[in-house]
Amino acid sequence: MKHLSHGRYQKVTIYVDRISQQWIVRDSEGSFWTVPATTNAWEQRQPFSPSQGVELEPVPGHYRYLLGLPS
Amino acid sequence: MTAEHDRLEEARQQQVPWKKWGPYLSERQWGTVREDYSESGDAWNYFTHDQARSRAYRWGEDGLAGLSDDKQRLCFALALWNGRDPILKERLFGLTNSESNHGEDVKEYYFYLDSTPTHSYMKYLYKYPQAAFPYDDLVQTSRQRGRKELEYELLDTGVFDEDRYFDVFVEYAKDSPEDVLIQITVHNRGPEAADVHLLPTLWFRNEWSWRGVNERPQLRDVSTTAAQRVVEAVDRQLGECYLYCAGDAELLFTENETNTERIFGVPNHTPYVKDAFHNYLVHGRVDAVNPARQGTKAAAHYRLTVPAGGSQTVRLRLSEVAPKTVGGNGQEGPVFGPAFEATLAARRKDADEFYAQVIPAAMSADASLVVRQAMAGLMWTKQFYHYDVDKWLEERGSDPFKSNRKAAPRNDHWHHMYNGDIISMPDKWEYPWYAAWDLAFHVVGLTLVDPDFGKQQLSLMLRERYMHPNGQIPAYEWNFGDVNPPVHAWATIFTYRLQQVKQGSGDREWLKSSFQKLLLNFTWWVNRKDRSGRNVFEGGFLGLDNIGVFDRSAPLPTGGYLEQADGTAWMALFCQNMLEMAAELAMTDPDYADMALKFSEHFLWIASSMAHLGGDTGMWDEEDGFFYDVLRLPDGRSQRLKVRSMVGLLPFCAVTVFDGVLLTMYPELAARLHWFLETRPEVTASIHDPTILGCRGRRLGSILDEHKLRRVLEKMLDENEFLSDFGIRSLSKFHAAHPFVMQVGGQEYRVDYLPAESDSGMFGGNSNWRGPVWIPVNFLIVRALLQYYIYYGNDFTIECPTGSGRQMNLYQVAEEIARRLGSIFLKDADGHRPVFGGAEKFQNDPHWRDCVLFYEYFHGDNGAGLGASHQTGWTGAVARLMHFFSSTTADQALALGKKAAVVEIEPDADTSPFVESKS
Repeated sequence: MKHLSHGRYQKVTIYVDRISQQWIVRDSEGSFWTVPATTNAWEQRQPFSPSQGVELEPVPGHYRYLLGLPS
Repeated sequence: MTAEHDRLEEARQQQVPWKKWGPYLSERQWGTVREDYSESGDAWNYFTHDQARSRAYRWGEDGLAGLSDDKQRLCFALALWNGRDPILKERLFGLTNSESNHGEDVKEYYFYLDSTPTHSYMKYLYKYPQAAFPYDDLVQTSRQRGRKELEYELLDTGVFDEDRYFDVFVEYAKDSPEDVLIQITVHNRGPEAADVHLLPTLWFRNEWSWRGVNERPQLRDVSTTAAQRVVEAVDRQLGECYLYCAGDAELLFTENETNTERIFGVPNHTPYVKDAFHNYLVHGRVDAVNPARQGTKAAAHYRLTVPAGGSQTVRLRLSEVAPKTVGGNGQEGPVFGPAFEATLAARRKDADEFYAQVIPAAMSADASLVVRQAMAGLMWTKQFYHYDVDKWLEERGSDPFKSNRKAAPRNDHWHHMYNGDIISMPDKWEYPWYAAWDLAFHVVGLTLVDPDFGKQQLSLMLRERYMHPNGQIPAYEWNFGDVNPPVHAWATIFTYRLQQVKQGSGDREWLKSSFQKLLLNFTWWVNRKDRSGRNVFEGGFLGLDNIGVFDRSAPLPTGGYLEQADGTAWMALFCQNMLEMAAELAMTDPDYADMALKFSEHFLWIASSMAHLGGDTGMWDEEDGFFYDVLRLPDGRSQRLKVRSMVGLLPFCAVTVFDGVLLTMYPELAARLHWFLETRPEVTASIHDPTILGCRGRRLGSILDEHKLRRVLEKMLDENEFLSDFGIRSLSKFHAAHPFVMQVGGQEYRVDYLPAESDSGMFGGNSNWRGPVWIPVNFLIVRALLQYYIYYGNDFTIECPTGSGRQMNLYQVAEEIARRLGSIFLKDADGHRPVFGGAEKFQNDPHWRDCVLFYEYFHGDNGAGLGASHQTGWTGAVARLMHFFSSTTADQALALGKKAAVVEIEPDADTSPFVESKS
């Protein structure tokens, strides 16, 4: 699994899991969350545990606004 | 003054926004560095053409025959569907760097036919096949071809057989700065009636998704009658404007949002996404478009049946004028009809009148056509270029201020950069990003029609948002830190002199501020690229890609380093340009006099080092009469790399004539210079002696003394070496029979004469400096010949071509080279244009043969266009040469000196190559 390091302003890192068709977000404390494709997505996040073999594909940081993530 | 000149003046003096709307939409945003967020920096494969219809761009937009405002908030372009294509044609298709046997290449036929500098009138042609576009065939066949084979072109696929295609003309005409009339005319060139779907499309560049703002701009249907559809566009910063669509078109709406389901495999936030019109039309998905008739992307859908040999026309109007007041006096009135036609006709006439003043009256009709299309290409190649490097680095997780940061694949040290401007591009498909040294040559052409824009472009590169704090001018987005030849100062003094002669006085404040910034750049060069402190420069590839036997930007396989003839020559020219600027500024400000002396002496040091440093292994080779790069090995040995190439001709180009006024005005400066020359006789021992006065008391700054000048000219004007029928080759034909070969570590390195495409992948494999003719360096050669001519005068003659027995003065040599360059584009005795090479359709078909393409470079033996097909950017400089030799004579050049370049007279039809013969 590839990880994006944290940027100057970037508190979260975004991935997509193509198998489960979900956005996956790692927050500034290193916790992983699934985020639904809805408005107020971040408020509806659910804990996620990346299991072995899960391929998380990095998504550019600018998609964080589309997902309503905290900046 | 013409109406277009008035508009230019209004834009300059009163800031009337005549240039607010223009062809600023790119032809390719996918596959660019800006849109690349991959770990490896593989821009071509990260954001592909296939994704482009579905994925919202971060930094810019693209489209066919497009228009946008100067901040690219709102975009307009044409989409097409012939009912057979697998995808809606919203943008040009081309092969990526790895898909083609000679690097990236657009596989479409489109032409910039006309444009005025304020874009008050523009015309574009796109040739759209009626059969399914052969996407797969182009990719698969190209992949199978090797580097020694020709590229597989769209015409080769047979898709244009029997003329089964549409000529789609798009014209724009401004009724006022913010009222743009649009006419699209579709001709069916085929033998049978054919259907085509036309979708003029209006959309907002997506900024809202990337900023976290709730407010977004909006498009909505405000039509009140079936006879005319209206889309209202509202944006907080842009205000309100309207797209009027004549006739009963179907309006479609969606959002300019990524189809996350297709791109990332995650359900969409909204059912209405970027590729909605494709899904609606090609796949019949009615639910793809928003039934509420609103969004951030809209299209007017016209379905046309065009009879064989006939045409259909669609009219639209993008205007700030609201429907209720479009008729004037607060009344709703006709948007189309006779007034539309009258305005369109008036702008066409304005364009004709404008170019009648720009193009010398004596120029032949065919040469006029070439010059006008060169200007059209330069105007159409403007683009809104947006790249906030700091933000881009942040978004990919690279923090330039953290010690343990993850380095970005490129541009890590350029986080100061914020670009968000209209910039002249080299080619809006193949090179949709600015390139520093290209831009200097663009300005040479641009200033024929819009000197203000030329000045603004030069200023832009020196601004703090562009130039690195250390003084380096950014090269291009693939690596801003690459080193391009320092030609910015040359373009600056050229542009200043142009205005000085045209308007009676130059813009001294502009020159002064440019000089200050260029001083930073000069210092960067001196401190970074002169390894030994002996005034001998490196620089790497310096824009000449594969010209050397080694990749000059990489560590050498031999170890050691190169003393570069071109790097050193460029710096000699840079010195001369700075000296010219300082001398000009010193006319009114004594503070600059010292700087003039500084650059005089610096030039002499560089010239001197180039000419004699190193004894037997200096750059000058007396036996060959040519300059070469020198390889300095780690063990102290050295050798000249005897490749006869443009590298060795550039020292010839480092020449400038001076009038000596500065020395008369500042006698103590003259005394200091004379002291320097007297006490350092070794400096001028091997170069031209600057104290020897030439024609009309002129002085010459030149690396080459008369002996070396004649030796270099002998090679350059030899048709078995550099002189081709179409200009000066980048590599001598001598190497066809005598390749340069070097063995290093058991590996062979060689340079062969290759008049067409490169046979290696060096520098992407999409350009070739081992034989073809390149316009920009030829431009510098012609410039240099004219400088030598106005110093040496008519008494200096040389055999041209070498061995022909014909003696010419250097003006005649310059004119002869310009004639050969111009002949690439002009019809020959058989009515063929060499630029089209063996493409029969282009050579013979009346609908193709006058649509001129300004390629990146040209076959060294037959003049056929090669590389990027729309690189009007620097190839457009040929128009300046054609203009010069249609408005100047040798006598005038001798009398006026450098001012002759901008003072126009009618030359003798019997001698000028571009003037219509009266006989």
